[in-house]
Amino acid sequence: MVSALLGSSAFLFLFLTIVVLVIFSYPSFIVNGLGFFTSITWNPSLSGSVVTVNGIRSMSGASFGMLVFFSGTLLSSGLALLIGVPLSLGIAIFLSEVAPQRISNIMSFFVELLAGIPSIVFGFWGFLVLGPFLIHSVEPVMAKYLYFIPYFGGKVYSYGLPASGLILALMTVPIIASISRDAMAQTPIELREAGRALGLTDWEVTRKIVLPSARTAIAGSIVLGLGRALGETMAVVMVSESAVNILPKTFYYPINSIAAFMAQTLDSAFTDPTKMEIYALVELAVVLLLITTTVNVIARLLVRRGFITSAEHVVQV
Amino acid sequence: MDHSNVRSPEGAGDNASPTLSVTVPAWKQPGVISNHRRRVMKGRIVEVLAVLCILAVLLPLGDMIYMFAYRGLQVISIPKLTTITVGSASFVSGGLANAIAGTALLISLAAAITIPIGVLGGVYMSEFSNDSRLSEGLRFAADIMAGNSSIVLGYVGYLVFVLYFGWGYSAAAGALTLSILMFPYVFRTTELALRKVPASIREAAIALGSTKTTMINRLVLRFALPGILTGIILAVGIGLSETAPLLYTALFSNYLPSGALFHEPIGYLTYVVYVYSQLPSNGAHDLAYLSSFLLISAVLVINVVARVGLRKLSKV
Amino acid sequence: MLEEEVLMNEENDALRGERQPLKRGEPSDQSAPLIQLTDFSAFYGDVEVLKNINLSIESNKITVVMGPSGCGKSTLVRTLNRMNDEVPGFRIKGKILLDGEDIYAPGVDPVLLKTRVGMVFQKPNPFPISIYDNVAFGPRIHKLAKNKEQLNAIVRESLQYAALWEEVKDRLEKNALGLSGGQQQRLCIARALAVKPEVILMDEPASALDPGATYKVEELMVELKEKYTVVLVTHNMQQAARVGTSVAFLYRGELVEFGAASDVFENPKNPLTEKYIRGIL
Repeated sequence: MVSALLGSSAFLFLFLTIVVLVIFSYPSFIVNGLGFFTSITWNPSLSGSVVTVNGIRSMSGASFGMLVFFSGTLLSSGLALLIGVPLSLGIAIFLSEVAPQRISNIMSFFVELLAGIPSIVFGFWGFLVLGPFLIHSVEPVMAKYLYFIPYFGGKVYSYGLPASGLILALMTVPIIASISRDAMAQTPIELREAGRALGLTDWEVTRKIVLPSARTAIAGSIVLGLGRALGETMAVVMVSESAVNILPKTFYYPINSIAAFMAQTLDSAFTDPTKMEIYALVELAVVLLLITTTVNVIARLLVRRGFITSAEHVVQV
Repeated sequence: MDHSNVRSPEGAGDNASPTLSVTVPAWKQPGVISNHRRRVMKGRIVEVLAVLCILAVLLPLGDMIYMFAYRGLQVISIPKLTTITVGSASFVSGGLANAIAGTALLISLAAAITIPIGVLGGVYMSEFSNDSRLSEGLRFAADIMAGNSSIVLGYVGYLVFVLYFGWGYSAAAGALTLSILMFPYVFRTTELALRKVPASIREAAIALGSTKTTMINRLVLRFALPGILTGIILAVGIGLSETAPLLYTALFSNYLPSGALFHEPIGYLTYVVYVYSQLPSNGAHDLAYLSSFLLISAVLVINVVARVGLRKLSKV
Repeated sequence: MLEEEVLMNEENDALRGERQPLKRGEPSDQSAPLIQLTDFSAFYGDVEVLKNINLSIESNKITVVMGPSGCGKSTLVRTLNRMNDEVPGFRIKGKILLDGEDIYAPGVDPVLLKTRVGMVFQKPNPFPISIYDNVAFGPRIHKLAKNKEQLNAIVRESLQYAALWEEVKDRLEKNALGLSGGQQQRLCIARALAVKPEVILMDEPASALDPGATYKVEELMVELKEKYTVVLVTHNMQQAARVGTSVAFLYRGELVEFGAASDVFENPKNPLTEKYIRGIL
């Protein structure tokens, strides 16, 4: 049937993606080996000469390592969840339990609007407003008073981790909040009534009946949000410097994520005559693909119990 | 949990009217009232916190919209929308015609590809697939694609369309990459919308002697149309907002699209925000603000249409 | 007990004149009704669903509320523990006195009221947690037990009183959803008892159960009235005749007749009541 064939394009696209990325990352995998995963150096060594290693051409002295970007991705996504999850749950509780229906509907609309804002615009706002605010008003204060906590003292360099984490948090909030809100609103009314009849206050009904009943969906939504944060590209590009070859020593150091680095660097990689930097970047793409796929598979397992995944949640029916 | 110590030692646990050891009703027991006040207080604090959370999120949203609306409206003018960008780096002037036209072309092409594939694929999943292993796998694949980073997709587009197929930076490469991005959303939302059509309607049609395909065409699709349209509209919104997939497939161009789908780069609005915000010229900044404003407005309209339109159509 | 039966409006008026608001903690006068509805009306928005009800509910009796569908019996019972407060547009007129105090007075906390007036629902609704945790739920919230032994005792006694102990004592940690329908309902009764209320409202508690389970629940109700006051909503007239002490017949929001069960069923005073009993209403 025609529609069957067309539907199978899902397989086609996925297959294409995997095959293409694996093919084009292979040279880099051979040349850089396991060092790719442990090295913090990203050096295309473009001013050197061409050498051939194992039949593959690369620049002499070139060595590519992803650790800086990998840690940047993990740190920024971790911070995003740290801030975003409580915020989202608070919003979900507000929308589902606290607010009267009308206000809840209006606020839900705004939360969805937040989800639709283009990530580059988010990043632009971060660049114009959030970043400056953080490095001028917040981070110096933090560094001054929290110096005794390791990582939290020292000089504030540029936008870096706090800005990225906060922007990413704002981008994951709609996902977590709306899925959680829906799950909470679907708590069977008999359970709520049973709780109320026993003399529970509203908050106790929420805490002891509604939240436990929604917990699988909430967990799934958090993992989905994590997936979004891990792969987010342009917003991070706008608020991070091209930090290369150093791991962040403090909270205020500039960072870079895998996705952001990939977006920033590909055009300069075109100048590599051996194309090795391109291959290395594609290897980064493979790593990123593996990360987001793993996270999404976990989310799917959690959210499997007759609920919705991120693609479906686009439609808030 | 071991409950063996719940049983009374005398074993006097028979059913005939045992005396409850504490017959004082709960509300008369000491501490229950004051404890109760504490419980209610906790609830109030939580309510305040919840309100703070939503405000904490609405504040950036409001600031964003206000800022870009303000600057965008300052800059907007007919010339700005209808002339093309001139210059680059430290001297930029002109308008966004090339970017607007480029975005329009790219989205239209991407939609033209995605809609048939996505909708028909969704129809297959909902109507013909019997929830087999195959369909589970397809859903799985679509979800993975949806969760992918957009730059990864951009790389794939570059490697396949620009390099391997040899199309160069082109509208075709950009549109195809976008369509791969948009596909999972249309695919899944169509299936969902179709599944929501009650089984009773399908059965009634079959009972009246309709064939499966006719029933689907005439009846089910009509019922599911609002949901399908909403999915398409929202997928378009997602496509509009993307930058990374287009960076290395469509590149950018200061010229209006000439209609050539291959070997000719094309402009788009999100690129303007990305690059022109970083350029030293005020003209460039103006264009970046204006693009942001246009993009936010488009997203706003899409969201409103999707929500309101869906509600209205569903009531038919 | 005949002299304590309150028939209709006239005697309510007389009693109302003598009522003094009682302080919390004082034992109520045994001859006075525990719950007294006085000129009580309830509205959902503009629709008047209960019209000028005057009703006395006596301690340690089973008061049955019956009537055809839509007569307002569920609404009436839910006003007694203020479960209706959640419904948008709900308002009331008149008074409901519990032990002499108006439960709709401005200062009254509906949450505390529910510890005095418990409720069992038509469809058994145990929480998806263990049997023990279900029964312990209320006591934990209200901190009725100072330590584990006390909590164990409350759980055990509540389950014993609900005639469920023998069946579940060896599997208290198992999920409550594994019980049969009748057992789940008795568990819900035990859960309500654990909070030690004075009144238990039962909204068609057996209508979702099979006859054997129904029988057990009815037996339980008769025992419960020794220690508690029961208000039972049912559409099952045989059940009402079997367990009821007094019967209130509601029709379209109005209290049409009220009296001892035997009187109402054998010598109905109102033609509507008679029609309902004969099944032709």
